[in-house]
Amino acid sequence: MQRAIEAAGIPTIIIAALPPVVRQTGSPRAVAPLVPMGANAGEPNNVEMQTAIVKATLEALVSIESAGKVVPLPYEYVAKV
Amino acid sequence: MSLTVVKGLQSEIYVPITPPPVWAPVKKELKDMTIALATAAGVHHKEQERFNLAGDFTWRKITDTMPSSELMVSHGGYDNSDVNKDINCMFPIDRIHELAKEGFIKACAPVHAGFMGGGGNQEKFKGETGPAIAQMFVEEGVDAVILTAG
Repeated sequence: MQRAIEAAGIPTIIIAALPPVVRQTGSPRAVAPLVPMGANAGEPNNVEMQTAIVKATLEALVSIESAGKVVPLPYEYVAKV
Repeated sequence: MSLTVVKGLQSEIYVPITPPPVWAPVKKELKDMTIALATAAGVHHKEQERFNLAGDFTWRKITDTMPSSELMVSHGGYDNSDVNKDINCMFPIDRIHELAKEGFIKACAPVHAGFMGGGGNQEKFKGETGPAIAQMFVEEGVDAVILTAG
C-alpha cells in the first residue's frame, strides 16, 4: 500500500510495530516506536505520547534521505493483556 | 570443483524477497503540507460495511468530516482492545487535526483510507486497492501520507 502511494508520487511514512517486516516488504520510510501491533501511534488516550509519535513521524518523513530507512523512536507502550 | 553441484535448484521453502526501492521525494516543508492517513488496521465508519475478517482486499474511504467517535475497527488479525478504547492509537486523526490547528502542518486531508492488512488477496492489494487509494490521494491534492499497522 505504502509503495503504491509512493509510486503515485506522494511521499509516505509508516509507523511500524514490526520494523523487520516493513524493512523486508520494501517500505520507503518508516519509524518504529516501541509499541505493540494494535497501538502503533501510542498508548490509548495518551494524547502526549500520540502527539509526540505523530510529530516525530512527520519529522522523519522530511529527514529520511534514502529508501528503506527505519528510524527507531524513543517512545514505549506495553499493552496489558 | 564448483560448489554448485546441480544448477537451477529452487528451494521449496518460500522466501520473502524485498522488492526494489520506491521513492517519491519530499518537496515541501511540513508547515505547507496536507497530510492524509492510510491504515491497514481495519478502520472504517460505523455505518460502513465491515471487513471480512477472513481476508478482505476492499477498502473504505474515511472522510475528514467523520467524527473520530464514529469510527470503528473490524480486523481479525490483532488485539483490538486498545484501538476499541481509542481509535487514535491506530488512526491518529485527532492528533493530525491538532497539529494542523497549531500550524505544525498546513492541513488535514479531506479523505483518508482504511483497509484490512495481514491477509487477503495480495495481488488485488498490489494491483487494484493500492493504486485506487493512491489515485484518490493524488486527486485530493495530498502532499504526504502517514500509514499505520506494519
